[in-house]
Amino acid sequence: MPCLRIVLILVIAAASPLLIAVDSIAVTFQPDEFQPRFNRVFAIVLQAEAAGATPDELRELVVLLNSALELNEEAFKLTRPDEAQRRNELLTQVDQMLDSLETKASQLEAVASQRTFTNKLLAYVSGGIAAFLGTLAYAYGTSLWRRYRIKRTFQMRIIPK
Amino acid sequence: MSSQNRRNLLVVFITLLVVLEMIAYVGTTPRPREQFFQLYVLGENRLVADYYPNDNPNLRRGDSVRWYVGVTNFMRTVQLVAIRVRLGNQTIRPPDDQQALPSPASLVTEFKRFIINNETWEFPFVWQITSGSAVGESVHISELQINNQTFQLESSSALNGYNFRLIIELWTWDVESAAFHFGWQASNERRVAWLQVWFNVTSTPLLS
Repeated sequence: MPCLRIVLILVIAAASPLLIAVDSIAVTFQPDEFQPRFNRVFAIVLQAEAAGATPDELRELVVLLNSALELNEEAFKLTRPDEAQRRNELLTQVDQMLDSLETKASQLEAVASQRTFTNKLLAYVSGGIAAFLGTLAYAYGTSLWRRYRIKRTFQMRIIPK
Repeated sequence: MSSQNRRNLLVVFITLLVVLEMIAYVGTTPRPREQFFQLYVLGENRLVADYYPNDNPNLRRGDSVRWYVGVTNFMRTVQLVAIRVRLGNQTIRPPDDQQALPSPASLVTEFKRFIINNETWEFPFVWQITSGSAVGESVHISELQINNQTFQLESSSALNGYNFRLIIELWTWDVESAAFHFGWQASNERRVAWLQVWFNVTSTPLLS
């Protein structure tokens, strides 16, 4: 009997912290609650930005990223067994948002990259065209000046002093 | 057209071409600028004042303190930032600016957010002590409520309840290592931003 009592005491002692932990609303903070997929999507967003996406285009993606982040955090707060279904629903929603974001970010990267290339090409070609037009203007100006000098030369008069 | 004239025109064309292409290059290439973050904590009236109820830093259990924490991104790229909140006392080591090391004080919570370049993310930070105890000369805070969420703490005590501090650190996400790092990488050096706000919990009868 004393042996059984000791076993019972040990079982209760072991189970008490668990019971307290389940009942308590408070949570000890765990910082590593971040889905690895966020990293991949974030990398694509950064690539789109480096390719020349505008702040307005990026804002749209960042708003979606933050929404996904909030849902992800909300899901990780649901730790009780009866909240498992809600947690799974939220994580599925996060996955869907990240899928959509990945597609959008990739498209944006392609568009921004194309636009940046076109803009650079236009800028450099414009420089060449402007240099050509400037040279033409210089040639025309020089010929006008030369004609003016010839005209002036022939208009000279010799005045005896 | 004489050969002299042709040579002159060629020189003019090449000079104009070089100058204008340089302008095109400068116009299409982003200029390097200093990369940094701005981190701040404001009091309940969004000023650098009124950090505590009635301007009294001696807090009691249940005293609600309202601050506004903000971060501005001047990194020229989208950033994922985390604001980590720690509870420390007078003796615990603060974050190390030189070595870019975070404080070893116990982590209470963190707030994460993606922010674009030049964007400021500001959020209300409403907190209160929800549980604490006094053992001898040592005052322990065992539970904090932040933005309606309760956090249990370990080993957060101060002598006679004086000089507790909330340390607010800025962490940034590094895509390559897929992890948060304290501070951020600017050029070849690591920079950090952190803040601390001190308070006391001296009214021991009100702790229990």
